[in-house]
Amino acid sequence: MRIGGRVCARPFFCSTFGIVVQGLHVENTEYFVALFTNLLHFMAKLIVNRLLLGVLTLFAVSVLIFVCTQILPGDVASAVLGQGATPEALVIFRRELGLDVPAHLRYWHWLVGALHGDLGVALTNKRVIIDEILPRMGNTLFLAAYAALIAIPLAVGLGVISAINEGKWSDRLANVVTLVAISLPEFFIAYLLIIFLAVDVELFPSLSTVFKGMPFSERVYQSTLPAFTLTLLVAAHMLRMTRSSVLSVMSTPYIEMAFLKGAPRRRVIVRHALPNAAAPIITVIALNMAYLVVGVVVIEAVFVYPGLGQLMVDAVSKRDVPVIQACGLTFATVFVLLNTLADILVILVNPRLRHKR
Amino acid sequence: MANVETTSDAGIILDRRQLILGASAVGLASTFGATSAIAAPKKGGTLRMGMEGGSPSDSLDPLTYADSIPITMSLMLWNNLVEVADNGDAVGELFENWEVKPGAADWTFTIRKGITFTSGKTLDADDVIYSINMHRGETKSPAKALLADITEVKKLSANQVQIIMSKGNVDLPFNLSDYHIIVVPNGFKDFSKPDGTGAFTLDEFQPGVRATFKRKSGNYWKPNRGNFDRVELIYIGDAAARTQALVTGQVDIINRVDPKTAGLLAKNQKLKVSRTPGMGNRFAFVAHTDKDPYSNRDLMMALKHGIDRKKIVDNVYGGYASIGNDNCVGPKMKFYDPKQVKNSYDPDKAKFHFKKANTSSAIELQVSEGAFSGATDSGQIFQESLANCGIKMDLKRVSGDGYWDNVWLKVPFCAVYWGNRPTIDNQLTSIFYGGAKNPWNDTHFENAAFSKALEAARVELDQKKRQALYSECQSLVSQNAGMVNYAVQDYLDAHSTKLQGLTISGRYDMGDDRIAEKGWFA
Repeated sequence: MRIGGRVCARPFFCSTFGIVVQGLHVENTEYFVALFTNLLHFMAKLIVNRLLLGVLTLFAVSVLIFVCTQILPGDVASAVLGQGATPEALVIFRRELGLDVPAHLRYWHWLVGALHGDLGVALTNKRVIIDEILPRMGNTLFLAAYAALIAIPLAVGLGVISAINEGKWSDRLANVVTLVAISLPEFFIAYLLIIFLAVDVELFPSLSTVFKGMPFSERVYQSTLPAFTLTLLVAAHMLRMTRSSVLSVMSTPYIEMAFLKGAPRRRVIVRHALPNAAAPIITVIALNMAYLVVGVVVIEAVFVYPGLGQLMVDAVSKRDVPVIQACGLTFATVFVLLNTLADILVILVNPRLRHKR
Repeated sequence: MANVETTSDAGIILDRRQLILGASAVGLASTFGATSAIAAPKKGGTLRMGMEGGSPSDSLDPLTYADSIPITMSLMLWNNLVEVADNGDAVGELFENWEVKPGAADWTFTIRKGITFTSGKTLDADDVIYSINMHRGETKSPAKALLADITEVKKLSANQVQIIMSKGNVDLPFNLSDYHIIVVPNGFKDFSKPDGTGAFTLDEFQPGVRATFKRKSGNYWKPNRGNFDRVELIYIGDAAARTQALVTGQVDIINRVDPKTAGLLAKNQKLKVSRTPGMGNRFAFVAHTDKDPYSNRDLMMALKHGIDRKKIVDNVYGGYASIGNDNCVGPKMKFYDPKQVKNSYDPDKAKFHFKKANTSSAIELQVSEGAFSGATDSGQIFQESLANCGIKMDLKRVSGDGYWDNVWLKVPFCAVYWGNRPTIDNQLTSIFYGGAKNPWNDTHFENAAFSKALEAARVELDQKKRQALYSECQSLVSQNAGMVNYAVQDYLDAHSTKLQGLTISGRYDMGDDRIAEKGWFA
């Protein structure tokens, strides 16, 4: 999009706002204001839309979780009493927990409570669920943020470098290393890191049991090995996606034009190709961030890190429905928020997506 | 007695005034005190335990205790009525002593005087009666069956309680030592705020993650126990992570050492591996003997003689197990019969019995790691050794999730584990007694001679006659029941050498779950 017939000197800035900037002097101020307002209006509509859909998603998730847990054999009474479940004990246990009420009524009671902000108490040990989830959620988010902070710049940076050096040894090396990292199971990588960095050379602790009241620096120190393991896992995926997305954009006409203009390869990739290749990269980053929050149960087990994944797995094996619902909703919320954020960023980066064809 | 001294050097807490108060003081010292030969315990320090055996759904409510971690925590905060000494005898904990009338149905228990709860209340008969009744009547307590024959628990005085039973049982004190039966104040209900007579108070508790405890101020009523200032219990479910934590010094003691690496751990000079042979879980394959084809006794005998028990013990459990003899009675259990006929691996006998059985039905064994870890490997070795005897057995591996709901007790031939019990009566009763009325009778065993002998042994006060009756029971089960109990696991704990006081207990691992109370740092 152009106004005033001039191609701007900094194309990324221009393509975002669709206006012309000449040096520091903005032409056509009113048009700029109108476009900006338009953009904000569009964004607001998008966010509200996404959030409403998100609420609907959460509702659907809660119903699905409830139905699936009912289908599974056994219930919390038989799971908790285990080998010690005599028929009389089961009856008494179920009666105490209100499990003799029909399923749809139980779901309805839970839903009403949840809408009022009361997620209830765990069926197994009667602890208030929010009190259990909040510290674990904090731990999970902390670890995810720690890993993301290292992984994202590393992956995108190395991916771009790989694309620039396509075919050279640095590119091939990156390819091999990332393939190996993706193929090895995560607990194997974790154990390797523990052996080399915690047992042979006592650089880091092998136990990452963090707790409330721990000084921040101590928490960072204890979480380093798991964060490092997670970085290796997600960086590989993001790096390969960045590289292939950038390289796929390289065959378009405007890139050819940039080369014909005489721009060096590095400039072409960073200034012209990367912004247009950003959409799939952002999507992959969002997916991996979601994985960092939701899918790290094995890492939690190996490093004994008190996150949310462990809680959910145990709740499922004990059929503790309120806890499963609460964990499921938390994870679904994280997914919805991350996806919304990714959509917003993609649209910001690529204005063509704002307008219907 | 030589060890009842008041010098601070011995670390014993009794002072002269209490000594003069009488026999109970002597009883205390001999039960709980260190003998003059062992170094007296030093007080202080923080004990860090890394344990497996709990989950985020744990609670301190005794009706829910099913695994090691909640039990260990409960014994730091509360006490039981009766304790099991290292030699396997029942000794009084909060009960001082007891008397029984002939017939073993009328018991009088005396409660120790002068013991207080954290809240300050003095322990008396009302607390004891309330604590026992939590497990009687309409209750989901797993200890209910142990106390089912009690008809009345009567208060005789502030520190005396009478228990009357419908059927006599010499082992009542052992039944009362069950880990579910903790002693709480009369009317106590809120287990998130513990109030007990134990050595520690609860500081923080995050189920599935960790729990911390502080020593109570003042002297603990048991001499030489309650020595640490603080205790930290960390849940470490992964065996490798647990071992690493001990090796790098992040914890002082761990339980359930992986048998495959126990040998390597023992080579570490800073660590000690504590092995309790023959007291751990009993691993077995059980078949319903009231239906075809397992009702055919020859087929069962073929299966019993066709399993290479030693190979399983060596390969699956690294040698850290004893060979079982199909009745779940461990070699260290009181009244174990060392002379019983052993069902050993004998391909010739197996072939002979199989031919005699003359059955064409398929034999299918269902196993799962959800039953116990090692079940699948054991099943495979079983299948192999049967193939050597010309017997074909199908092995089906099923999911661990819902194993105890859908597979055990329902499927004709499957894997199961049974925990250690403090008495042979308890062990045999839970598994083999009661016919169809016993919901856990996973072999559907019914044998009149067995029931008669077991019932007679319960009221028999003469030790020799009791032994004869129990020998008969063991042999009847081993030769007739549909159980192939091939191994009794060893307990394996490991700890740093600066931790003292871990002895081989008469019942469970980690010093009968009481190492936090019993131990000290050198």
